[in-house]
Amino acid sequence: METKTLPIAELRKLLAAVSDHGKQHLVEVEADLLQTTFLLSEAIEKLSSSFTAVHEAISAQQQVIDTLVAKYAIEQPILEKLDAYKSKIGDEVNVVITSLQFQDLTSQLVARTIKRVNGLKDLLHELESHSNEMDPGHEHEEIVKFLEEMSRSLQVGSRALSGGLRQSVGQQDMATGEIDLF
Amino acid sequence: MAKTILAVDDSGSLRQMVAFSLKAAGYDVIQAVDGQDGLNKAKEKTVDLVLTDQNMPIMDGLTLIKNLRGLGSYQKVPILMLTTESSDEMKAKGKAAGANGWLVKPFDPKRLIEVVQKVIGS
Repeated sequence: METKTLPIAELRKLLAAVSDHGKQHLVEVEADLLQTTFLLSEAIEKLSSSFTAVHEAISAQQQVIDTLVAKYAIEQPILEKLDAYKSKIGDEVNVVITSLQFQDLTSQLVARTIKRVNGLKDLLHELESHSNEMDPGHEHEEIVKFLEEMSRSLQVGSRALSGGLRQSVGQQDMATGEIDLF
Repeated sequence: MAKTILAVDDSGSLRQMVAFSLKAAGYDVIQAVDGQDGLNKAKEKTVDLVLTDQNMPIMDGLTLIKNLRGLGSYQKVPILMLTTESSDEMKAKGKAAGANGWLVKPFDPKRLIEVVQKVIGS
């Protein structure tokens, strides 16, 4: 009579490979995300500081213009042009302030992704440790039990990971958000 | 005398943009890096308005509001949430905790100032 046996050694090898390769890639993903966080953080720091400096310089320049306008008779069309520039600068400053908030939104999204990557690494580690428990000497039923336990454990881990990663940033663009007063 | 606003957010860039906008409108701004820091600074000096983020390390915005509402001096001080969170569920939690308003990021400085002026005046 032919006895059906599971190729345990091959199965263990496969699970170990899935775990190893998966973890290696996730380590790279995590490193890239951390580098992205660092670059975004440095960029926003420099942008914010330059923006503040430019705004201070423009405000000082405006004071000089106001002094000149008060002291000398400036032609009406030139005064209108100056007012138009002032208004345009004000509008653009508002747009910049809104846009510079991108780092707050993206850093939350990146942090959430890093948590998910770490959770996936844990799940892959679990896959490997469960497969180590299997041995070619085990009975068919015992192997089935091991595989079921592994599947259950992965499900629990995956649910816990998703549960702990609530989506806090739903914004799809940098349009300003709604306001509710209670 | 200028009114004082406590701006609580763990994002330095966001705090900077909030402070920049409010100072340009003539308000004094105190900054705090998380809920606990916000609570400590609120105890040091009673401010005219608290503007807080929700998701922060150490203490989140809702916990900060509950703590502030527990202090006698903050029972009537307006508190606005400024957060990426936009779900009705979170807004309801904010209202229940004692928030007076909910602003979803990113904010427009002009509209922020309008809301602040509406709540505490110029």
